[in-house]
Amino acid sequence: MKKDKLYDIFLFIVDNLIWVFVVVALLVFSLISKNFFTPFNLVNILSRVAPLALLVIGQSFTLITANFDLSSESTMGFTAMVAALLLASQKNGGLGLEINPFLGILIMLLVGGAIGAFNGIFITRFGMNNFIMTVAMLMILRGATYAISPGKSVNFLPPEFDWLGGGALFRIPSGDGKFLAVPVSMFFVIVAFIVAHIVTKYTRFGRDMYAVGSNRQAAEAAGIDSKRIVTIVYIISGLCAALAGLLDAGRMDSATPRTGAGLIFPVQAAAVIGGISLFGGRGNLIGAFGGVLLWGILDTGLNIAKVSPFWIEVSRGALLLFAMFIDALKVRYLRRMALRKVLAASTIGLKDPLLQVE
Amino acid sequence: METLSSNVILEMKGISKAFPGVQALNNVDLTVLEGEIHGLVGKNGAGKSTLMAILMGLHSLDSGELIINGRLITNVTPREALEAGIAYVPQQVRMMDSLTVAENILAGNLPVNRFGLVDWEAAFKDAEERLHRLGLELDVRQRVEGLGVVEQTMLAIAKALFSNARLIILDEPTAALARADIERLFGFIRSLKNMGVAFIYISHHLEEVFEICDRVTVLRNGQQVGTYEVKDLDIPHLIRLMVGEEIRDYERQSTCQDEVVLEVRGLTRRGHYEDVSFTVRKGEVVGLSGLAGSGAAALGRALFGLERRGVGEVWLKGKPFTAKSPREALDKGLAYLPQDRYRFGLVGIRPVRENITYTILHQLLNALRFVSFRKENEVVQKYIEALEIVCTSPEQRVGLLSGGNQQKVIFAKLAATRPSVLILHEPTQGIDVRAKLDIYRIVDELASQGIGVLIISSEVRELLGVCDRILVMYKGRISAEFRSGEPQTTPENILLAIEGGNAHDQRQVAAVYS
Amino acid sequence: MTKGKWLQFILDRMIWLILILVVIFFTIRIGGKFLSGTTLINVLLHASVLGVLTIGQTICLLSGNFDLSAEGIVSLLTVLAAWLMLPYREMTLAQAGGIGWELSPYIVIPLMLVLGTFIGWINGILITRLRMNNFIVTLAMQLFLRGIAYVISLGAIMPGTPKDFNWLGGGRIGAIPVSVIFTLILFLVFEFFVRYARFGRELYAVGANRDAARASGFNPEKTVTQAYMIGGFMAALAAWMLLGRLEVSVPTLGQGMTLETVASAVIGGVALSGGSGSIMGAFSGVLLLSVVDTGLNMMEVDPFWITGVRGLIILVALLLEVQKSRIRVDMLAGRAKSPVVRS
Repeated sequence: MKKDKLYDIFLFIVDNLIWVFVVVALLVFSLISKNFFTPFNLVNILSRVAPLALLVIGQSFTLITANFDLSSESTMGFTAMVAALLLASQKNGGLGLEINPFLGILIMLLVGGAIGAFNGIFITRFGMNNFIMTVAMLMILRGATYAISPGKSVNFLPPEFDWLGGGALFRIPSGDGKFLAVPVSMFFVIVAFIVAHIVTKYTRFGRDMYAVGSNRQAAEAAGIDSKRIVTIVYIISGLCAALAGLLDAGRMDSATPRTGAGLIFPVQAAAVIGGISLFGGRGNLIGAFGGVLLWGILDTGLNIAKVSPFWIEVSRGALLLFAMFIDALKVRYLRRMALRKVLAASTIGLKDPLLQVE
Repeated sequence: METLSSNVILEMKGISKAFPGVQALNNVDLTVLEGEIHGLVGKNGAGKSTLMAILMGLHSLDSGELIINGRLITNVTPREALEAGIAYVPQQVRMMDSLTVAENILAGNLPVNRFGLVDWEAAFKDAEERLHRLGLELDVRQRVEGLGVVEQTMLAIAKALFSNARLIILDEPTAALARADIERLFGFIRSLKNMGVAFIYISHHLEEVFEICDRVTVLRNGQQVGTYEVKDLDIPHLIRLMVGEEIRDYERQSTCQDEVVLEVRGLTRRGHYEDVSFTVRKGEVVGLSGLAGSGAAALGRALFGLERRGVGEVWLKGKPFTAKSPREALDKGLAYLPQDRYRFGLVGIRPVRENITYTILHQLLNALRFVSFRKENEVVQKYIEALEIVCTSPEQRVGLLSGGNQQKVIFAKLAATRPSVLILHEPTQGIDVRAKLDIYRIVDELASQGIGVLIISSEVRELLGVCDRILVMYKGRISAEFRSGEPQTTPENILLAIEGGNAHDQRQVAAVYS
Repeated sequence: MTKGKWLQFILDRMIWLILILVVIFFTIRIGGKFLSGTTLINVLLHASVLGVLTIGQTICLLSGNFDLSAEGIVSLLTVLAAWLMLPYREMTLAQAGGIGWELSPYIVIPLMLVLGTFIGWINGILITRLRMNNFIVTLAMQLFLRGIAYVISLGAIMPGTPKDFNWLGGGRIGAIPVSVIFTLILFLVFEFFVRYARFGRELYAVGANRDAARASGFNPEKTVTQAYMIGGFMAALAAWMLLGRLEVSVPTLGQGMTLETVASAVIGGVALSGGSGSIMGAFSGVLLLSVVDTGLNMMEVDPFWITGVRGLIILVALLLEVQKSRIRVDMLAGRAKSPVVRS
């Protein structure tokens, strides 16, 4: 079989575009600011965006099946608040139960998973639109987080709880008598991405996800239970959001009613710019990791360059729009390539080809 | 049922199916043998799709028997059809485009190693071997969207066979293919046939039926005309079987005047139509017919501004005419009745009243720029009476009317703009016989008021009854013209032209493809 | 068919029945005090900001689109207005002053309205011209605007808006708040407008069947963009009203209201699929949510449970709407299965 070279090259470029962005961003910030390319910063890029990274993993899973989970930032905030209330002493804003930290983590994960299951079941069994359902959940959970919180942050959580998000795995002497702490969260994120990559690429479940996202009818015809797959994917997304809450609360040593608020925006941007398509069935977790890295670099870099918060906010909005635009362009182009073949094959003959593309 | 010879795969006996107002199938038989390619032909509305839908379990049947592999099945469900080994391959194959060929073949059943992880090397090897057994060489690592159309079709057939299909329904598989690709597809189909796979082959391209099929079943108006050995037929004969004896639905008096209202000169849009020129006179009804993809349908949409028009000139009432949007076309005096009335014609959940006045709202505003109910009701009442639209009240949702009345609502909407040219796309599709006659009468009436009418239709008999002239498009060009009343204006000749031949050299056409 | 019709009839009017039941429930639990004029005013006051936003949302929903950006517009415009009007003050704990320009309310109010409309226009352009998903675009817009509101306010509140600004939100004519009268008038005007103006006709047609609307000579891109502009304008009005009532800008203002507006509209019979429903129907939905909120507050229920109840109502409303449109689809499908044979 002869291969369509142009198509292959195009596919290779769009699949790996994110790494070009990452390298360019690193170079640009290194040139702009001398303070950027330091061991301290590089180590911190990943730990700064660790909660985001976990949300991106969950979002990637749902996006691959052609669904959205817009509720994850609220799930993150809600689970963090639940755990903090159970863990913190009364004077620090908690309920004063001060339960075992590991039990707290377990409860967090259970709550996160339950929220995901709730989303998944409403979407697959009751025919709710995934957008409406998860936006409703986004707002309801944020309201609930405010309602259960004491109206301010809950502080001073036990060190065992904080370890994953804020602990240091080891310290490297950095010459001037100080130590460079290598955060646990950095390794956790990397491990999480490796696990997620293996699940999506090398398990039947992972491949079923892609099949469902690529063409649900065809997947069902092949005997794949799409409802089951989508429900599980939402549970995974809920669990990832709870882990994100754990990382964030651990790093800050507190949970606030606003924990996670507004994160869904960068989450989408990072996933999409990393090549996970909003239209389902495309992209991989390595690319998504690239998206997270890029977001971290921009975040750290813009901060160090002392860009005003206003412009940071604007640039984030622009990045999301850009990512979505690229994605739409990519999918449209791929479809058009397929179409052009049809047209090239026959001068005249297809029933309204252009009408069927839209 | 053991009396049947063992190599009969499918037997459909005395199949009847009625829809409200229409007998879609009446006592139809169809027998398909192992290793046979069985053609199924008939004009639009002859009942091919309904018959296949029954076979696939999408429609229930009113009476008749279905015997698959010697087993009697009274009411087929889609799952039963699938399990019995019946698969359907549509014209536009839809697969998991963003995934590899191997994954599409093995979906839901990928091989795993002892750690429970997908063994990709084994998967690729397995997929390659399976395809190889069918004589199909595809790069299994390629994503499906990177394949050509013919490869996707062949892959879809292969996939059906891997899930144990024994009878494959091919619905217009060649419509989007070049000649070389058709050869490849036919080669593949023949090699599968030699392995004992049976095919039902639906096509409007009759020459292909002669090329690939062993037997052919002809349907006409829901009746079975017969099943024939292909070698006993030729194209003109087959067309006669499809058309039947000539009964005109309707006869009209020509009201054609001399003034030209629509003139199209050298209109070309690559991939759709090329160098199309024709005129429509005041009060004239012109028919335009052609196979799917011949360009007739695209031409209608383009003139109305729904699609790009391409290059070339169009004159309307002596003035150059362009329309970038339907609004512009309507304002300049060109109205269009779309083929898909559910999608383009009507706003189903809104009342009849609103649907009739959508096109002329700007004429019904009062001093406050609000819609004047008095003026609106006058217009609505006038058209409901004139076109005899049957509805409980003007406030009834238009989606709840019968097909014929829905079509009349669209006519009312278009006539209200007082156009000089009216383009109708399959105006009588899916409506019952009485409503059809009503529609013809409305067309007649509009023409006698001086409107130039262009009917794009594949119903040759309908065109013969109502048109002054009939143009035929083939592969994007106008290939023939028939005038009402001339001796060569017969359904057979027109259908032959639609199929790509012409009356004078039909023998040549048959010879080329046989 | 008839069964479906009956179900449809009941589903379409269920709201009034529920409203009566809810009022009876609260009257039993709280007593006669619930049926007082004060309660009515409180309900209507609660319904005013929500109502204004719901009008905008309903118009977008009728056109077949969501507007999730409205609460972001409220958030940004309240902060921006306070920032432009208030005198400069050093930031203390969580309080801040404005930029120090001390613009007159008569400049700031038109500016808000123009800005709100402009943001709606951007939404419309992104959705109709760049063909982006309306859900994603408006959600992104909401979060983006809220982000900017935070950047301007640094999360602090800005108290003390001028009197000339506050009359719409805080003023009273006799015992009746101006905002209540204003909202009721708006509902009537828009009901009239959507029902009788040409724009309303276009809105329903475009929302119900965009392709057919285009083929009937309408311009769906224009209609949808206009719907979003109205949505943005209404959000600006709501911002003015809300800031005037509270006299202090809080960056979290309006948070969660988008969903309430969608729920109000849906409860009032507006279809999420577009092209069906009315402004007054949406008003009944607003009333129901307001009565429940006011009632629960009077019962001194824990805010946590109020949030829960509200969430539950919203989910149930959305769920019912989904089931309702399924019935509707089935009803129309009975027709659509006519023997249109494609071959």
